Amino acid sequence: MKVSYFETARYRAPRQLPAQWPVPPAAYDRDAGTQSYHGMVERMQFVEKLGFDWISVSEHHYSPQRLTPNPVVSAAYLAGYAQNIKIAVLGPIVSQSNPVQVAEELAMLDNMLPGRLVVGMLRGITGEYLTYGLNPAEARERTSEAMELVLKAWTEPQPFGWQGRHFRFRTVAVWPRPRQQPHPPTYALGTSRESCEFAARHHLGLGVSYAPFGVIAKATRFYRDACAQCGWQPAPEHVIYRANILIGETDAEAEALLDEQRRARQAFPLRAQVRDALLELDIRNVAGEARTPNVGGVLPTNFVGSPDTIVEQIKCCREQSGVGVIDLMFQIPGSADLGFLMRSLELFGTKVLPRIRDV
Amino acid sequence: MRVLQKGLIVTQAGDAFREGHVDADGFRIRYMEAGQGPPFVHLHGAGGLRLTRGHDLLSRQFRVIAFEMPGFGASPENDRSRDMPELAATMATATDALGLDQFNLMGTSFGGKTALWLALLQPDRVQALVLEAPAAIRPHGSRPPAGSPEEMARRLFAHPERLAPMPLPDPAVQARQARLTARLRGPDRDADLEGRLPGLVVPTLVLFGTVDRVIPPEMGHFYKELMPNCHLVFVYDAGHAISTDRPEAFVEVVADFIERREAFVISRTDTVIHP
Amino acid sequence: MQVSYFETARYRVPPAIPAEWPVPPGAYDPETGAEAYQGMVDRVQFVEELGFDWVSLSEHHYSPRILTPNIAVSGSYIAARSKRIKIAVLGPIVSQSNPVQVAEEMAMLDTLSNGRLVFGMLRGTTNEYLTFDLNPAEARERTTEGMELILKAWTEPQPFGWQGRHYQFRTVSVWPRPLQQPLPPTYSLGTSRESCEFAARHHIGLGVSFAPFEVVAKSTRYYREQCRHYGWEPAAEQMIYRANILLADTDEEAHELLEQQRRGAAPFPMRAGVREALLKLDQRNVAGEARSPNVGGVLPTSFYGGPDTVVAQIRRCRDEVGVGVLDLAFQNPGAPDTGRLMRSLELFAEKVLPRIREV
Repeated sequence: MKVSYFETARYRAPRQLPAQWPVPPAAYDRDAGTQSYHGMVERMQFVEKLGFDWISVSEHHYSPQRLTPNPVVSAAYLAGYAQNIKIAVLGPIVSQSNPVQVAEELAMLDNMLPGRLVVGMLRGITGEYLTYGLNPAEARERTSEAMELVLKAWTEPQPFGWQGRHFRFRTVAVWPRPRQQPHPPTYALGTSRESCEFAARHHLGLGVSYAPFGVIAKATRFYRDACAQCGWQPAPEHVIYRANILIGETDAEAEALLDEQRRARQAFPLRAQVRDALLELDIRNVAGEARTPNVGGVLPTNFVGSPDTIVEQIKCCREQSGVGVIDLMFQIPGSADLGFLMRSLELFGTKVLPRIRDV
Repeated sequence: MRVLQKGLIVTQAGDAFREGHVDADGFRIRYMEAGQGPPFVHLHGAGGLRLTRGHDLLSRQFRVIAFEMPGFGASPENDRSRDMPELAATMATATDALGLDQFNLMGTSFGGKTALWLALLQPDRVQALVLEAPAAIRPHGSRPPAGSPEEMARRLFAHPERLAPMPLPDPAVQARQARLTARLRGPDRDADLEGRLPGLVVPTLVLFGTVDRVIPPEMGHFYKELMPNCHLVFVYDAGHAISTDRPEAFVEVVADFIERREAFVISRTDTVIHP
Repeated sequence: MQVSYFETARYRVPPAIPAEWPVPPGAYDPETGAEAYQGMVDRVQFVEELGFDWVSLSEHHYSPRILTPNIAVSGSYIAARSKRIKIAVLGPIVSQSNPVQVAEEMAMLDTLSNGRLVFGMLRGTTNEYLTFDLNPAEARERTTEGMELILKAWTEPQPFGWQGRHYQFRTVSVWPRPLQQPLPPTYSLGTSRESCEFAARHHIGLGVSFAPFEVVAKSTRYYREQCRHYGWEPAAEQMIYRANILLADTDEEAHELLEQQRRGAAPFPMRAGVREALLKLDQRNVAGEARSPNVGGVLPTSFYGGPDTVVAQIRRCRDEVGVGVLDLAFQNPGAPDTGRLMRSLELFAEKVLPRIREV
């Protein structure tokens, strides 16, 4: 099993913030912002030393919860400090981006690293439809087209035009190209049938997130079947699982913390009327079975307990869903105590990591 | 006119086209014509002439002349055209006989190769060249689509299930066409043709669907590498029959290219949302 | 006079590469590309040591000549690898971007670099209209609206909607905001009447480039007049002049280099049919007087000679144009010979820089 540390810049607000997304920018504290980016580097260097394989970043907007509206920009900063760790951009929200620009940025980044970039391409969580005014009804189709265009922009040797449904370019000729040829390890992110089929067709990996093992197992099974139909078999590291983790010295400690975590604030809470309207409009599925989107809700904590318990949970996860990379969001319940985060990372790095390498 | 199951009334593709015939090299060649404007000659693929919504849309801006090349459709077996250049010469003569001095030329798949040869033989007459999923450069060991109508449809179209049912082909016609195209299609990599392409300065647009299951779209860049004034465009989610799968997208770029040639790369799209 | 070094991530272009823009990406060599970005960092650290005030970057696409399609990404990488030098992004091509995304990226970069960002907003060189299919007839208007939206996104305390002509957003609420208050040093780039007026109206600086002194002087004069009209007076450092420089030990040597360079290739040579069509469509002006755009042509070299001569030219530039910041493109940015570049940077720092500080 490979392990990735999910870094969100951990902005620590000096005072109580309005809960609702989008958060008014007037509440932004510049010193806290600066500290949060510096902390990002410290934590990356820490997990690098502990032996984590990747550090991952994600794209979120208009919120102190994830201070990385362009994850490639944060990753380029991290690249300036990284030694050996891979940087996983999971991922640019391609549905609302200019796919050619995404291809350019990621290619630059892969050259800066050099060659240690991992890419995931994302449709985006429901709330992000509001960021740049994306029509929820078009989100899926735009994602598929954009992913195809990004891959084409990385691999086509001659300048070309793109006559798409949602994107049109007469001239695409991306310089630089990625350092890794033909392109960096790339994942389609999401549990949906479309995401699995796209990944299978293009020989890409699949990234799933947060749902319980049983749910993600449906998607990974569907993905492996689709790969078989396309005549290939994915390796375990072709499947990433982004999950919440709460690690304590003992199970009792972790369980107690989990209670606190359950009372925690949602990451991107929306005004009720907007949430309800989005719930109606956002059509999602797991391997073809309809599922309700998570709009502004709390996400489950997937791994909880002492190091021993977590090792068992990770084994169980591997057996049930076959994932080869876990991308971990470390919880710090009840406070913004970064000391707790560092202790959790160390505990994981010393007591769990060595025991799951052969899982 | 016909009525689809969903109750939509649509015009059959090609309804506006009139049939005509022209004599060339001893062949009586059928063609379909519609529209006014700059002449636009089309040479079809190995399956013969089938008018599509793409032709209809093109005929709004151009005088479209879609030939049925000798040996295709109801025409008698063609065992006289010895090779592709000869067929191309016949088609050039046919355009002459129609009184076309200069014209825009489009070739589809097999007809893409014919069109290339026509342009090589008479470059001054071809104002702009459009190659729809051309079959002039193919991966080694590539095979033309064959089999049941369902298998053919799966090879040709991105989403065959979305298309209205098409008339079943006449097996005798199919056999005649297959014999002819097998004889004329030439090698997968045609050194004679490719050796001449660097000298062809006609503005050329090459189109491939991203899900072409007959000729891989990865063949597109070879044309661009060989020809001095060539542009390559991928049509997203279209199969080999681009103008059937995505006629509006296809015609937008083709018509823009015919009108503006290489300057078609400059956008003139209005992005004003509200004045 | 303050001095900025214009860095282009020099890619060692092999002689056989096609000259025409866009350049086929199949010709990209990943090794050479990774070297280019490493070299970028080496040079930034070098000029920081030498005492240059800024390093500047610019957005260009589809070409090995300037390998920075997203300058926030290169800027972040540089931010991680430098300490004091200001990072001037001159600038993102606003007309073809998502202005909210630019505001987000630049706010990140300002914070990541500890407030070292200098920010210029650009309409874009004519060839770039082809990159993301920008209608030349709309370029000016989109730039103006985009610039206005960026400034708004940085200063408005509450989430807002934007009902523009070219851009429409229902929700804008940018996190993080720039570290520098109320704005990073910001410039409107371009000699045009619209650019000068926008800068004057918003109390921001003006950046002009490459044209001879008497031409750029027209626009700095117009800019100062406009500022007076809006009731303020710009400081010298609110005017940047980006220019080519060829510095050598002696005048004779510099003249010889200039001759060589005149025979050299233009930065973005284009196919005749496209160039002519663009020439017709692209309307440009200097302080309101029409000028023909430079489409795929060679750019003039404003400063050339031995150190004494260049010092005299810089004094004359200050007298005639009034700029307080020189942004210098040394020894032809397209030239693969970085050894010569390093020598001339050193020469500049030793023999020119100390003598123009008081200019």
